[in-house]
Amino acid sequence: MSDTDSIDVLVIGSGGAGLRAAIESSDHGASTTLISNGATGKSGATMIAGADVTLDGAGAAKIGLPGNEEDSKEKFIHDIIVQGYYLNNQRLVEVYVRDAPPRTKELIDWGVKYVWDGKRALLTQGVELNRVLVEQTRKRNITIIDDVYMTDLLTQGNTVVGAAGVDVNHGEIRSFGAKSVVIATGGWQRSYTFTSAPGGLTGAMHVAALRAGADLVNMEMVTFCPNVILWPPALRGDIFPYILIERFGDLLEKHGRPFLRDEYDPSIYRIATTTEWNKLIFSVAGTRVVLRGDGSPRGGTYYSIKTVPLNILEEAEKLYPGWKWLRTDFSSLMDWLEDGNAVEVAPAAHYMEGGILVDEHTATTLKGLYAAGECSGGLFGANRVASAITQILVQGAIAGGSAAEFSKTSKTKEPDKKQLDNIRSRLLSPFTKTGGVRAPDLKKRVRKIADDHLWVLRNGNGLKSAIAELESILLKEIPKLSIQTAARTYNKEWIDAIEIEQTAQVLLASARSALFRTESRGVHNRSDYPLTNNNTWLREIITKNVKGRFTLTTRPVIVTKLKPPKGKFSFEEGIIRAVKELGE
Amino acid sequence: MNTINVRVSRFDPAVDSTPRYQTYEVPFEARMTVMDVLDYIYENLDHTIAYHSHTSCHRRVCTRCNVTINSKPGLSCHTEVTGDMTIDPLPRLKVVRDLVVEGL
Repeated sequence: MSDTDSIDVLVIGSGGAGLRAAIESSDHGASTTLISNGATGKSGATMIAGADVTLDGAGAAKIGLPGNEEDSKEKFIHDIIVQGYYLNNQRLVEVYVRDAPPRTKELIDWGVKYVWDGKRALLTQGVELNRVLVEQTRKRNITIIDDVYMTDLLTQGNTVVGAAGVDVNHGEIRSFGAKSVVIATGGWQRSYTFTSAPGGLTGAMHVAALRAGADLVNMEMVTFCPNVILWPPALRGDIFPYILIERFGDLLEKHGRPFLRDEYDPSIYRIATTTEWNKLIFSVAGTRVVLRGDGSPRGGTYYSIKTVPLNILEEAEKLYPGWKWLRTDFSSLMDWLEDGNAVEVAPAAHYMEGGILVDEHTATTLKGLYAAGECSGGLFGANRVASAITQILVQGAIAGGSAAEFSKTSKTKEPDKKQLDNIRSRLLSPFTKTGGVRAPDLKKRVRKIADDHLWVLRNGNGLKSAIAELESILLKEIPKLSIQTAARTYNKEWIDAIEIEQTAQVLLASARSALFRTESRGVHNRSDYPLTNNNTWLREIITKNVKGRFTLTTRPVIVTKLKPPKGKFSFEEGIIRAVKELGE
Repeated sequence: MNTINVRVSRFDPAVDSTPRYQTYEVPFEARMTVMDVLDYIYENLDHTIAYHSHTSCHRRVCTRCNVTINSKPGLSCHTEVTGDMTIDPLPRLKVVRDLVVEGL
């Protein structure tokens, strides 16, 4: 397949971060191509987001929203860092808070439908956000390429000169020369069996970036959304009970006891049911219940509304008319719950705080390579509470601008033919094999490693066995993957084979970081190191590619605003301390 | 075990002149979806079957899993299975292979 010439900026990923990057790049006068592993506007995590845009109250007031002028950028920065257990790169936090108001203002100018929550959030929906951003993208001279699953970056020395991947519908390998590349591909939630994320979030470009020589950061940090529906299948992965529990209902263990209320300090229960600390607290408490054998048959806990009086439910239904939320009808589920039943729920892989290492300009450690949104790491430290939608808008715009400016100073370089040949032979290798391992089977096994050992509660032995198993799979089984399907057009086995290699690599990076961090912090909780240790672990863990070997190193957290406290504390103490600091 | 017969339209424009049906026997589970059935076939019976799933959202939003189920269009991620069925691609769109079409 022939290469595409004269791309200034190649944006990979068409969720919110990619769309916003493409818009900014085009507005900087760069010839821009937006490429997606699905269809633009119909893939990525943005489309199914809740979704809110967060900004400080005073900043909101300045752009014409009825924001609280006693709030401030300083307070918002403080809160994000406390919520992140002081692991945040504070320069990234400053930029996030600085640019949130202009990014919000422009969304409003572009006609996004929203409701202001009165505090720090503009409430909208992912579908609506996508509609507006796709409309703005299509108004500009941006080349859109759909259904190309990008797998590799092309480099010359430490400079990125393009990218390559598979056109899944036509079954062809395609490469694109570009003066700069923006990665905006979201997290790697699809490396887990149970996730609230859509397909396509496999971490492919994290691995491509690492392979090409960029660094990753804090790969052990994975947020789980608790109370995600396990059954029935049509609703599996939906987070509606998580949305509801902020208002009413309880999580029960198998004897019908509300474990959080019964077993935890009243202040923890109050925080979990009234603030967005619910993700972390319910995930940890629910997982403890399952691990001690008090979970549901499908390995979760139960969400129940049995104690909620009917008139209170009727009042709540006004918020979700007909019990519809986003595009899904939950009325039969709600009827069933109102009859006194409980739905099985569990934590699901939801958001990745770790990712490709970037600075405040979204620049990675490779020249010409930028990363924006969830695929980048460091902004939210060890725990995200503020909006990931603001992250995609702020970082997307910066990445588009940075990449466009970089492209003006750089010349198009021909991709190295040998590098392309290697990529091609690696991608096509499963077609040349017979017998060996079958892709759908291996995919399940790789995901199960993540489910078993990289879940809400980790421990050293589990992580060691995950690393050994993943290394063995990468070394011995993936090279033997074979494909029975002769046709290359939409070949599921081929897509799976590519995904498996990426997910095994990204999980290996995550498991190694998780083993290396011998403490618990935020969403990373180890039963063998249960304390948060501010005396030694106020450090980010960086995964580097040193001559083909992935090695770990650390650096002290970047502090520009808020000095972290010293000391060690337990999970419960940590939350109570944080909530005091936040005044919640 | 309860099973259902699922007739799936198979068509590779590169080699076939017309689509043909292939029937699979799939274990039936209460409230399973059409996507679950297709996944079962792919994982256990026939790796060569093509249906869009690698970027599907499972939330009725992306609509890329839209197929024709017993002559009616439906999202495979949210359509619950009630018994034997026939699955075709959406009509009037160019078929990439089997149930995958262009322009969706």
